[in-house]
Amino acid sequence: MGATRAADPRLHCRALPGNYPERSDVTLHFVDYFILAIYFAFVLGIGWVLKKRVTSSSDFLTSSRSVPLWITSLAFVATNLGAQELVGMCASGAKYGIMTSHFYWVGAIPAMLFVGVFMMPFYYGSKARSVPEYLKLRFDEKTRGFNAIAFAVMTIFSSGISMYALGLLFQLVLGWSFFSSILLSAAIVLIYTFLGGLTSAIYNEVLQFFLIMLGFAPLAYFAVARAGGWEGMASRLPEAWTHSWKYAGDAAANPMGIEVFGIFAGLGFVLSFGYWCTNYLVVQRAMAADSMAAARLTPIVGAFPKMFIPFIVILPGLAALALTKMGDGYSLPIKGDSYDYDQAITTLMAQFYPSGMLGVGLTALMASFMSGMAGNVTAFNTVWTYDIYQSYIRKKAPDSHYLWMGRMTTIFGTLLSIGAAYLATLYNNLMDLLQLVFSFVNAPLFATFLLGMFWKRSTGHGAFTGLVAGTGAAALTHGLTMAEGKGGWLGNLHEFPSVMAQNFWIAIMAWSACFVTTIAISLITRPRPQQELQGLVYGVTKIPHEGGVPWYMRPAPLSVAAGIVCILLNLIFW
Amino acid sequence: MDLRTPSGLLFTILGVILFAMAILSPGSRAPMVEANVNLVGGLVFLGFGLVMLWMARRAA
Repeated sequence: MGATRAADPRLHCRALPGNYPERSDVTLHFVDYFILAIYFAFVLGIGWVLKKRVTSSSDFLTSSRSVPLWITSLAFVATNLGAQELVGMCASGAKYGIMTSHFYWVGAIPAMLFVGVFMMPFYYGSKARSVPEYLKLRFDEKTRGFNAIAFAVMTIFSSGISMYALGLLFQLVLGWSFFSSILLSAAIVLIYTFLGGLTSAIYNEVLQFFLIMLGFAPLAYFAVARAGGWEGMASRLPEAWTHSWKYAGDAAANPMGIEVFGIFAGLGFVLSFGYWCTNYLVVQRAMAADSMAAARLTPIVGAFPKMFIPFIVILPGLAALALTKMGDGYSLPIKGDSYDYDQAITTLMAQFYPSGMLGVGLTALMASFMSGMAGNVTAFNTVWTYDIYQSYIRKKAPDSHYLWMGRMTTIFGTLLSIGAAYLATLYNNLMDLLQLVFSFVNAPLFATFLLGMFWKRSTGHGAFTGLVAGTGAAALTHGLTMAEGKGGWLGNLHEFPSVMAQNFWIAIMAWSACFVTTIAISLITRPRPQQELQGLVYGVTKIPHEGGVPWYMRPAPLSVAAGIVCILLNLIFW
Repeated sequence: MDLRTPSGLLFTILGVILFAMAILSPGSRAPMVEANVNLVGGLVFLGFGLVMLWMARRAA
């Protein structure tokens, strides 16, 4: 989750301060609580039923590669669709307009198609149980260790930070106590994950996905309709809000403060590919698929629903701003001297959902939080148990011990996340700093995987040095440039128009430093013999033959189809 | 377990609740919508739930 942090507008919800001006007037009735309770019963029930499927550590941690395609593909999308994404994307819709869609139509979709077509054969084919383990098989122990430990720490903090955001939101909107909403939702995720492991998390993510989509679609529809439809919104908003590309030529002309190169290279190529192609949080869903074909199709099939999510999460944000400008009953809350965009989705719910549907909307918000948290918990479990515990602490134990460890890690990881959420209430700035550090660690990763999978000459020493150099370059770029008062702790060589632009450039620098350093060091160190690289690198791996499979079940043609739809969406909202 | 069964069941139940709300408490309206949102939501949920259940049944 932390990987896209640098680029992700969802993150301004992380920065919610504790002292809100006023609480929105959402009143829940019995039926709303009843709906929430039914949902809880279902997710727990699914965990209970799946409990009997768990007999080994691989059942618990990797679903023993048994999950059908339609489920993995929706889970792939859902695990990223956390509450921060929902709240943050809606906020960005209001703040930046339809340009927010670049996170989907330039960022996520191409990266998802790429990981399915080109990278999944190596993840799935290598028999690695996790992304860090792939690095161990392909490179060496230190590269795996670097990635595994960074990922584990990051996952705990991301999970804690999103809990913190959820707690604040529920406190603000419903007046619930901060810790009781955190503890309640964390306890439910803990129980169903503890019972059924990854399979339970994945199955519930699909249920949560349906709930999020169907629970928020009516909100998007009614809010946009009230704002006069697309035409009505366009007439009330500044023109740059309703064009995704028209004003992208010049950073000063659009609300995001970025230009075409930054969008393609920073957001699209480095950050989104880095997140969707190398983050174990999402890749784990595809690796749980029941066949190589299903694993490759997972992100590609997932791309179809993913590209329509902007209509449900971004459009309400635009509608919120348009309605505010219309001034007939709805207004974005004010915070300081600007709007409090993070409250857009909940204040809309209060105005557009009556008791009943309000319970559904609230449940959907809770569901999105849970799918995000379960993603973090299950990914942490596997990386901790296999890549850290089994690799460095206790190497040769019976499998039942690792199953036990996986279960314990669920509890332990959840407690740590709650601890991180608590820490966030005390030291908000510390969390900002940590997320910044994580973004430095993540930014160069895609260069390492790209070279690892497609250049058989790259070596472990090269990969490790490249990662360190990339992380350093990210920190250096942040230290030497400024944007909106951020960064510049080493000096100020350049001023960016927005933090987002700065983040994109940090990522570009980190990626380039990692790419160049990995190549340079690889060329002067000894490569591994080719026979050791089978199944790990392009050119020495047999890609499965797809003869006799219809085109719509083959990764490449299906990706082309998804790509065409995605390009059309870009053109429609040009 | 066929996930379509519990999904279908959940949405059918939620659909029935929303539909019942729409009929029994037609005065529950959102401040800014003239339509009966519960009725619209209820029918959509019910439809989705029943299709899911039907698909699960057909597969079994």
